Amino acid sequence: MDLFLQLAATGLVVGSLYALCALGWGLIYGTTLHFHVAHGAVFTLAAYFAYAAQKFLGLPLALAVVAGVFAAALSGMLIDFLIYQPLERRGAIRTTLFIASLGLLTLIENLLAIIFTPDPLRMEVGWLADSVQLGPVFLTRLHLVSMATAILGFVALMAFLKYSLWGQAIRAVSSSPEMARTVGIDLRRVHLLTYAVGSAISAPAGILVAMDVGVEPYRGTTFVLLASVAVIMGGIGSIPGALLGALFLALLENIGVWKIPSEWQSTISFGVFLMFIVVRPRGFFGRKIQSAEI
Amino acid sequence: MRIVLSSLFTLTLLAGMTTAAAPAAAQGNPIKIGAILPLTGSGASYGVWMKGGAEMAAEEINAAGGIAGRKLEVIYEDHAADASKAVNAMRRLVEVEKVPFSLTSYSSPTLAIQPIAVQNKVVIMNGGGQSDNLANKDYLYNNIPVVSNEVGVIAEWLAKDKKLGSAVLIVANDEAGRNAAKTFREKFGAAGGKVLAEEQVALDATDYRAQLAKVKARGGDLLFISSYGRNVSIIADQARELGITIPTAGTSWVLVPETMKSKGAEGMLVTKLPFDPNSAFAKKFKDKYKTDAGFFAVQYYSATMIFAKAAQEAMKKNAGALTGEGVKNAIEAIRSFDTLSGKLVFQANHGAVMDIEAGTLKGGKVEVEKLIKAAP
Amino acid sequence: MTAYLAHFLVMVAIYAILALSLNLLIGYSGIFSLAHAAIYGIGAYASALAALKLGLGFWGGLVVAAGAGAFASALVAIPSLRVAGDYYVVASFGLQVVVLAVFMNWTDLTNGHAGLPGIPRPKLFGWVIDQPFEYVFLAVAFAVLTWAVCWRLTNSAFGRVLQAIRDDEIAAQAMGKNVVLVKIVIACISSALGAMAGSLYAHYITYINPSSFSLHESIFIATLVILGGSERLAGPIVGAFLLLAIPEVLKFMAIPDTVAAPMRQIIYGALLIVFMLVRPEGILGRARHGR
Repeated sequence: MDLFLQLAATGLVVGSLYALCALGWGLIYGTTLHFHVAHGAVFTLAAYFAYAAQKFLGLPLALAVVAGVFAAALSGMLIDFLIYQPLERRGAIRTTLFIASLGLLTLIENLLAIIFTPDPLRMEVGWLADSVQLGPVFLTRLHLVSMATAILGFVALMAFLKYSLWGQAIRAVSSSPEMARTVGIDLRRVHLLTYAVGSAISAPAGILVAMDVGVEPYRGTTFVLLASVAVIMGGIGSIPGALLGALFLALLENIGVWKIPSEWQSTISFGVFLMFIVVRPRGFFGRKIQSAEI
Repeated sequence: MRIVLSSLFTLTLLAGMTTAAAPAAAQGNPIKIGAILPLTGSGASYGVWMKGGAEMAAEEINAAGGIAGRKLEVIYEDHAADASKAVNAMRRLVEVEKVPFSLTSYSSPTLAIQPIAVQNKVVIMNGGGQSDNLANKDYLYNNIPVVSNEVGVIAEWLAKDKKLGSAVLIVANDEAGRNAAKTFREKFGAAGGKVLAEEQVALDATDYRAQLAKVKARGGDLLFISSYGRNVSIIADQARELGITIPTAGTSWVLVPETMKSKGAEGMLVTKLPFDPNSAFAKKFKDKYKTDAGFFAVQYYSATMIFAKAAQEAMKKNAGALTGEGVKNAIEAIRSFDTLSGKLVFQANHGAVMDIEAGTLKGGKVEVEKLIKAAP
Repeated sequence: MTAYLAHFLVMVAIYAILALSLNLLIGYSGIFSLAHAAIYGIGAYASALAALKLGLGFWGGLVVAAGAGAFASALVAIPSLRVAGDYYVVASFGLQVVVLAVFMNWTDLTNGHAGLPGIPRPKLFGWVIDQPFEYVFLAVAFAVLTWAVCWRLTNSAFGRVLQAIRDDEIAAQAMGKNVVLVKIVIACISSALGAMAGSLYAHYITYINPSSFSLHESIFIATLVILGGSERLAGPIVGAFLLLAIPEVLKFMAIPDTVAAPMRQIIYGALLIVFMLVRPEGILGRARHGR
């Protein structure tokens, strides 16, 4: 039982990180329909930025984190502005955009590998690394912060989307771009905003990983692809779905190793995903989809 | 007159150019050997030692006139703990550089390149990998004892001297890690101990909490870490973070700078292969590379020196020609070599034997408690 | 030096087969797969194990490889091709991850991380193909064969159905074509061919381990297809030649290995982006009407 609780706790912590990534990616995908794999690079960039801010500029931890989040928001917007929007203007099809995104992901990750070396780099976190015991479960304070961040991020995003004018514009575009355009919403601006918000909300996940085990150039790829699984399982276009999908995946992965040898951990998510798309392709909360919908 | 002079000049120039362009004649062309090492990745700290040791040896050899008057050149290749990269590097060394000999490291990469060594009659010498499978392989020589030797020593010491009755294992999922774990089970069991659980980990992962949580649940008196390189310090740190309080243990592989510095590894029970941090070699290494030397620096220094001696013999026997087969025969003929760690005798199984020390890791240094002399 | 050149040509031929086979999916069917390296790996392992454990030669291994590749692909294609293209991307990523995990962890079968050494070279009527240039002939012969198969396939009635689906799936379905079945068939053919490339690789290098078949490898193969251009079949072959030449050039520039590998990837990534900006109708050849 103790083992189960410990694994469940770890699952929640990892789930928090997947959730932050999925919320951001899902927001972008649901609104722009761009399969933005370069989100993984933005996530990693944020972490390196925070690391560099702390190590080379001497910023205190909190400020370094803020710097990282800003860097992410800016990068996300730049990617849309410099690459995706020009592509769309030239009549690019969805696959083209995906390929450009893949190219960006590869380029940025490897550039970071040259600049920072491929070795994991940990940020200094001081007392956040201390272990805390909750009953039979051991977590570090950092892990608790991760969970809190995910909850806060989710609530903030939901509030933003529901109550703010910009949030409503995003929701309008997400449910029907044509309608939104008809009522005078500037799609390009909304896209830029979506990228800013989506990147900003996922940035903390990358930075938290840098604080826990260290940032590596190539981890972003795995995260973004898991985020896409989470979003699809949660249902495209649903923010609570993305959160649920992420938590579900992480818990499954971590509790799964209770009975399955731990080296098979990564296969659990995908096995479940494949089953999911056979049984319920629209995910937990998604819209019903036709087979040829792209 | 001018025509004659200028044509003479042109002819001399042409002659000079053609001789320079022609394949270098016997006089002064360097002897090239390879060195396939973990220069990057999780084992990079070993790579620093291994490369440094080989470099220092090559410099000393060349300063003393080279091997039979020829300069020794070492071509360094990175395998980053990936056997595929090692295979590519070996092919390049053998087919393009035509080396008669190469240093190698780590068990999986060495096992992967050994068939190529046999096919091309190139001798490979391993100074770091310890898998039992490295013994009894044609064209492969190990100037380090295979792991069953060291694991046997630590297993007995933990069971009998330290009185630890049961153990849980964290095992690297490669040839070396699994082999060491298998041997630990046998020897620990033979010494009266019991292994309660075993979990596999990847060398380059950064999060071992799931596996550690699972072994924690099984209890045990000690956590044996059958892994090496940078991840050992992460495993030790995360173990403590999860509230695992039992002592940790590992063989000499674990003694990399990251582990020596980590808080989680404090109190770790280890075995150590002989290395004197106060020797002239260690001082020279520290001056040159600005970092403390480790056991593997000496190993690769010795391996290079062994090659030099064998190559000299081979060239004497073959009228100046140097082939891998010649080097192999020379090693077999000479068999016993003087090294910085004392006399090294290659056994019939192409391995070596050494004394082993057992002790505790305290404040970044190993406090030796027992010396186990090598069985002849 | 000639041995080096021979090695380069063999690898170009192998990658040409991989690119040609993936092109059937990406270029002709509009299905983007991130799992081609896994298929390559399945072919390599199936062939190697058939040789090492069952004593089958290269030719038997080739058949086993093709079968294994087609089977694995069918397993994933059947559930995912019923739904949208993006789902297939993620599902193929899933296949890639799972297959690699199997290579790494089913140690009893695959020897895990340590890999399988000692794979035998091919034998043709008792004569062993192990000189570098002999292998070049074998590899190039297979590349030509693959090219011929692809050409035949795409210039047939089946090929026309494929293009109809690619250009407008809903219309094709309305015309009564069994879209899903066609896609599954092409996925299986593509994988059978890709797996055979794996068999060629295994019996050439005589050693395989999981690291050669990672997600990065899948992305590289996709890059070959995209940059080579896919309407003409020669495209993937040219792509293979050019992209494999880049790391060799970098080697001659004496850039340290640790920088050369990421630098290679940066060049590929940059090329992909530039290519897409220059040809936004992208790899599907004709420009689509009214986006």
